[in-house]
Amino acid sequence: MMRAIFAIVILDLKRFWLDRARLVAGLIQPLLYLFVLGAGIGASAKMGGGDYRRFIFPGTMGLSLLFSATFAAITIVFDRQIGFFKAVLVAPVPRSAIAFGKIIAGALQSFAQGVILLPFAPLAGASLDLVQGMEMVGAMALASLTFSAIGVGFACRFNSTTVFPIVSNAVLLPMFFLSGGLYPLMAAPHWMQVAAHLDPVAYAVDLMRGAVLGIHFFPVWLSLAALALTITALAWAAVRVFNRGEDDSSLGATNFNWRR
Amino acid sequence: MPSSPAPSEDSGSAAVEVRSLSKNYGKVEALKGIDLTVGRGEMFALLGPNGAGKTTLFSILATLRAPTGGAARVLGMDVVTHRDAIRRQMGIVFQEPAIEQRLSGRDNLMLMGLLYGHTMSSAKKRASEILAQLGIADVADRLAKTLSGGQRRKLELARALVTDPRVLFLDEATLGLDVDARRMFWGQIRGLADEGRTVFFTTHYMEEAEVADRIALIDSGRIVALGTPAELKARVGGGVVTLKTDNDPQARAWLRERGFAVEEGGQRITLVHADPAAILPDLLRNLPVRVERAEVHEPSLEDVFLKLTGRGLEGGGGKP
Repeated sequence: MMRAIFAIVILDLKRFWLDRARLVAGLIQPLLYLFVLGAGIGASAKMGGGDYRRFIFPGTMGLSLLFSATFAAITIVFDRQIGFFKAVLVAPVPRSAIAFGKIIAGALQSFAQGVILLPFAPLAGASLDLVQGMEMVGAMALASLTFSAIGVGFACRFNSTTVFPIVSNAVLLPMFFLSGGLYPLMAAPHWMQVAAHLDPVAYAVDLMRGAVLGIHFFPVWLSLAALALTITALAWAAVRVFNRGEDDSSLGATNFNWRR
Repeated sequence: MPSSPAPSEDSGSAAVEVRSLSKNYGKVEALKGIDLTVGRGEMFALLGPNGAGKTTLFSILATLRAPTGGAARVLGMDVVTHRDAIRRQMGIVFQEPAIEQRLSGRDNLMLMGLLYGHTMSSAKKRASEILAQLGIADVADRLAKTLSGGQRRKLELARALVTDPRVLFLDEATLGLDVDARRMFWGQIRGLADEGRTVFFTTHYMEEAEVADRIALIDSGRIVALGTPAELKARVGGGVVTLKTDNDPQARAWLRERGFAVEEGGQRITLVHADPAAILPDLLRNLPVRVERAEVHEPSLEDVFLKLTGRGLEGGGGKP
C-alpha cells in the first residue's frame, strides 16, 4: 500500500518537474492580488490593525494553494483520456492507495508553490519570526492537503478537462471569496459568516492568518477538525469513484460511456 | 493488501475458462452465452468484426468489467471474486496507449514495477531486463513520445511484462502499425508464448489471428467457430475461386443457374468449391462473359467467417 502510494506520488512529481514553469506562472495571480489589488485597496483601508497587504497575505497564499492543488488534480482527467490511468487501475493496488497517492502528490505540488510565495511575505509587510513561520508552514501543509483533496474529489468525476474552467469559476472562486481571504469575516454580513462555516478554504485561511496576525475567526480546534473532516470525506469519496471504475467505460472499451 | 483471502493459483486448471458467459449493457446483449477454454501456454486469438463482443469478452477476462451472467476463471480464479489475485499474474496491453508519453520508457516501467510492489532497486532491475529482452534498451532513456509507433507498442508490451505475468491479454495491440512492425511484434509475442505464457488476444486482422494456436471466431456476441487455423479453413471445404469479368452480374447469374456457391456482393465474384483447380478450366471455357482475371486460393479466415456468418470481417477484413 505504501509502495503504491509512493509510486503514484513519484509519477506525479516527475511529471510536475516537466511542467516546472507552472511554478512561476502560478506566482502571477497571488502577486497581483498582493501588490496590485492589495496596494490599491490598502491605500484607503486598514484591516487587522495594519497594512492591508499584510492582512491579505494569508488569503493570497490560500488562493495560490487552492488553484495549484486543483490544477495538479487535472492530471487525473488527462490520464483518463490517454489511457495511462487504466494501467494504474488494473494494478493490484487498493483503490484507496491511488486516491491517497493523488491527494499527497497534489498537496506536495501546491505546497511547493506556497513555499515559493512565502519569501514575498516581508515585502507585503508580513515579516514572520521563527515560531510564526513554523505555524505558517504547518497551516500551509494542512491547507495543501485539503485543497488537493478538493481537487481530486472533483477531478475523478470528470472525463473532460473542458469542465475545469467551469468548476474553477463556479466552485473555487466562490469558496475563495467566502473565505475571508480579502476582508475580515468578523465584519462581514451575517449570512457570509454563516456560509464561511461551510467553506473549507475559510478555515485554512483563518489558520494561516492566525500564524501571521495572531487573530482567529474560528477556534483553532474547529479549523483543524473541519480540515481533517474535509480531507477524510473527500478522500473517501474519491476512493468510491475509483472503485466504481471496475466496470467502467474508461476501462477496456471506448465505445460505452453511459455508466459514469 | 489482498482484498480477498489469498486464493492460490491452481496449476492444474486451464488458463482461461468461460462458462455460459453473458453481458448486457442495459437492453443491449453484448455477449449471449460464451463457452471457451484456453490451455496453459496456448496462444489464443479472438477474431471478429467491430462490435462483435471481442472487447467486452476481453474486458471481462482481464477483470475490467463484471459479467452479467455465467462465470469466467483465469488461472482457476474467478474474475469477480479473485480480481486482485488475477491482476498480480496477468499483463495487459490496451488498444490505446497506456504509457506516459512525457517520461522515458525506463521511468514508465520502473513506476509500473513500484505499483506492483517492487522495491526501487528491483523495479529498476526488472525494467532493464525487459527492455533488453524486447530489444529496446537502446531507446529506453528517450521520452516515450519521441519513439516510433512500433517502439511505443513494444514499450506497451514491456509495461505489461513488468509483473512477469502468466497470462498476457492483448486488445487490438497492433492497431495502427505497419506490416513490418506488426510482424516483428507478433514474432515477439510468439516467443513469449513459447516461454510458457498464455497469450489471449483480440484482433480483426485475419492474418494476425493466424499466428495463434487456436482461434475463436466471434460474431454478434456468440462464438461461431473455434479451432486451429487449419481446422477452421478446412470447414470451408476445398478452396476459393475469385473471378473478375467484363460483366459480373451476368456471370453471377450464370454460375448460380449451374448450382455454384457464389458469395453475395463484393467487387469480384467469389465462389467456394471442393476442387477449385479442376473446375476452373471449364469455367473459363464456358462462361458467357470475358474473364479478365482468375485466381484460385486456399480459403482464408475471411472466407471461413464469410461462410459461417454470410458477412465479411468488415472494417478489418482486407489487408492493412
